[in-house]
Amino acid sequence: MDLTRAMLRAGAARPHVLTVTMPGGTAVRLAAEEQLRRRGWPAAMTPADADVLLVAGDPAEPFAGVLAETWRAMPAPRARAHAARPGEVAAALEAARARLGDRSAQQALAAPAAGDGRDPHHDRDGAADGHEPGTGDGGHHGHEMGGESPGKMGGAAHRGHDMGGMNMGGMGGQDMGGMGMPGGLRMAGRGADRDGLRLDQLHVPLGPVLPDWPAGLVVHLTLQGDVVQRAEAQALGPGAGGSFWSEPWLRAAAGEPVTAGEAARRRAASHLDSLGRFLAVAGWDDAAAVARRFRDGALAGAPGSRLRPAVHRFARRVARSRTLAWLTCGLGVLMPDDAAAAGVRGPALRAAGDVTARYRAWCAELADAAAALDDGSPLGVAGPEPPRGPEDDTRAPSAGLLAALPGLLDGAELAAARLIIASLDPDLDEFPARAQASHDH
Amino acid sequence: MTAVVFWVLAPLAAASGFMVFRFASMARVTIALLVSFLATGGLLIVLGLGYLGVVVILMMVMEMIIMAVFMIAYMMNPAGLISMTMDHNKRGALAISVTSFLLLGAGIFAVPWPRRAGARPADPTFQLGKALMTTQMLTMITLAFVLFATMVAAVVLATGRGRYDRFGDDLKRRPAAGPVRGGVGR
Amino acid sequence: MITSAPLWSVLVVPAVLAAFAAAAVAADALLAARAAGRPLRAAAAAGPLAEVPRLLAGQRRTTLAPDALLWRLGVLTVPAAGVLAALVIPFGDVTASRMSVGVVWFNAMEVLTWAGLWMAGWGANSALSLVGGYRFVAQGLAYELPLMFALIAAAAGAQSLNVADIAGAQSHLWFAVWMPAAFIVYLVSVWAFSFLGPFAYPAGRDLAGGVLAELSGVDRLALEAGRWLLLTAGAGMAVPLFLGGGTGPALPAWAWSAVKTLAVLALLVWARRRLPVLRADRYAELAWVVLIPLTVGQALVPALVDLTR
Repeated sequence: MDLTRAMLRAGAARPHVLTVTMPGGTAVRLAAEEQLRRRGWPAAMTPADADVLLVAGDPAEPFAGVLAETWRAMPAPRARAHAARPGEVAAALEAARARLGDRSAQQALAAPAAGDGRDPHHDRDGAADGHEPGTGDGGHHGHEMGGESPGKMGGAAHRGHDMGGMNMGGMGGQDMGGMGMPGGLRMAGRGADRDGLRLDQLHVPLGPVLPDWPAGLVVHLTLQGDVVQRAEAQALGPGAGGSFWSEPWLRAAAGEPVTAGEAARRRAASHLDSLGRFLAVAGWDDAAAVARRFRDGALAGAPGSRLRPAVHRFARRVARSRTLAWLTCGLGVLMPDDAAAAGVRGPALRAAGDVTARYRAWCAELADAAAALDDGSPLGVAGPEPPRGPEDDTRAPSAGLLAALPGLLDGAELAAARLIIASLDPDLDEFPARAQASHDH
Repeated sequence: MTAVVFWVLAPLAAASGFMVFRFASMARVTIALLVSFLATGGLLIVLGLGYLGVVVILMMVMEMIIMAVFMIAYMMNPAGLISMTMDHNKRGALAISVTSFLLLGAGIFAVPWPRRAGARPADPTFQLGKALMTTQMLTMITLAFVLFATMVAAVVLATGRGRYDRFGDDLKRRPAAGPVRGGVGR
Repeated sequence: MITSAPLWSVLVVPAVLAAFAAAAVAADALLAARAAGRPLRAAAAAGPLAEVPRLLAGQRRTTLAPDALLWRLGVLTVPAAGVLAALVIPFGDVTASRMSVGVVWFNAMEVLTWAGLWMAGWGANSALSLVGGYRFVAQGLAYELPLMFALIAAAAGAQSLNVADIAGAQSHLWFAVWMPAAFIVYLVSVWAFSFLGPFAYPAGRDLAGGVLAELSGVDRLALEAGRWLLLTAGAGMAVPLFLGGGTGPALPAWAWSAVKTLAVLALLVWARRRLPVLRADRYAELAWVVLIPLTVGQALVPALVDLTR
């Protein structure tokens, strides 16, 4: 029908793109974000919101399930795009957009997957439907959603790792699973909460497909209401053997000539990226957009003379924002002793405090790095250090950040938990590129 | 026109009130009760009591949603997935309710309602306000204080953390000790 | 003198409201483009309007064991609340409904959003969606009482609950001038009941969209449109309540109404980007401990003025 064709084409003018970043795909993700920003295409928040699924980087085995789930949860019309290198992003997005507006292509997609978005996925056992075993109705949570949009919640992450770590004790004695509930859901287990009540517990994983979220991170939460009772941080797949943000230091360690300016530029871009994510999680979209614009400018090689005053002004504005400080003070206090014990290095250790202190530390270090963007001297030991802390052979700095997470998330509300994670911003690419052991609590 | 509106709203109010006991899901129960109240508010508007009707709608939406939060929190089977029946003593209750309905209905039709003495006020809202604030002022003040005292007492009884837990024995600790830091730093 | 329009005007109200809402969305898109470093062109402003065909042509989703009745009903309630609230707003000299309790009606219709969003959050059977719905209830408890007192202050200033009377009582001085606290609290509450900007807590990015997380297709369009319709209705109501209605020199009354509504909308859309999301756990204490005494005190001012007059 012509009306459908016209609407498809009109709707494809501004598709929403859901970017799933693979290990080692940071550069592609940055290119994708820049492309989306330039075209004015919004970044989708969930598969329900998305038209185009963009896979950034080389697909890794543990993510196959996540991608399949996310794809299944996306409503028609939809298109899939893959970009393994930053340069391929533009072409991939254009091709996806063309497929979106093409009615016959959409009908071809829809035919074999009839009922997509409506299947309760009986092929999965009841446990993998959402979260095991605390699903089922109960308390003030209703029951965990099953097959439809777990992509963003990482429900499919259960394929990538076994359920052994999950809290089976939460079931208590309430095994009413045989009462014929839809989808094989069972009643939620209960546990004591912070006010002394016994409330239902829900097991909800955050990630790996979530907006403004570190790629490959899955945080398994035990929620009562929106209060986190227990958290476990885990890397979904292997790392990339080295982070994009630490590349100048890795090259310098390998013996290549690297200037301090290059290192400062990468460091500034990393802090801008972290700040952009944090501000987006805090709901300050304008400031996040500005941060990402400067990040793209820094990475593209904009001259320091032009970038420095603008970045200074931005960093000052964010650091001095009374509203943001009021909203985040007292959250996620990480004292230096606990930080050192967990292995945290870098700005998170130096900030020695709550979320407010950490983002202010980023702003201060950003201002310092922006001052040295065009420094041509070689990168020395006394020069800037990698953005998340100095690398050494024992443990990646992000391993310390992951280890500190469960303690910080205990008892936090969900919004505070997201802010805490965003204020630490671990980069899982730093982990070695081999099968990962989970970083449990 | 008013007859049409009445015959739409009145059965709706009665039917959704009845559905409160037929739905298995606590959420649906609350919304059914809300619909019943909304229909009642509409009936009040039809009766010419515009202010009262709209205030009923306003208050009942807020109250039902707050009630929904507590119903979901405390009642078993909040989503109605397990088929559970909430009726007890079905035959007795049915008999009593049908009898009461018939008695009340008979009373409504049989009672000689008084004729209106005097003219209808131009602005019923103003007349209501005037009555409340002049002749019934004492009632309003008493009600206000009783309601307020009840609310405060209910919160004090319900909360597990009192002022002395939050502010210390000398009531001087700032900010208050508690799991969530409030916004004013008290 | 504000007259009541014929019955068919009830159908015109959604169209006019949607037109103003589209203007607000376009302005918001231009501001977003400026922050993102894109050139400010007409295409940037028209971008979000591409959402309409995209969502209309989009497939609706469902989840595992949703409460479909409550879910769809809740999603529909939000735009319905916006349109119903706008029925009492005078546009120039004409209003769709000249009811004597217009202010209370407006308040009651925007409160319908409580029911709508709670149901939309509950019905989806999804953790993030549910948290979003409950977040709105928490936010509602915070914003509602200051809003009510602000409305009471405006009504007390005119000694009437009729919106036309309130607009007519400002011939000497706008209420926004001598009741500034009520005006500012009212504007903040407009953000709050349309859950936009600093009050986008129920639909926030940290919850992957919150109440919007599981919605696609027509449902998503209804909820997103509902937010902007509520914002527009709130901005439109600010004009007779605090800015003197359609009075003004030179231009006809409907033009002044339009100009003032667009000015309030512009202010709301511009200012919403300057703040992060105010979470209810911080905002609630502020609202109850600071804003309620402030607005109660503000409501005392017109009462004293009336007594001494």
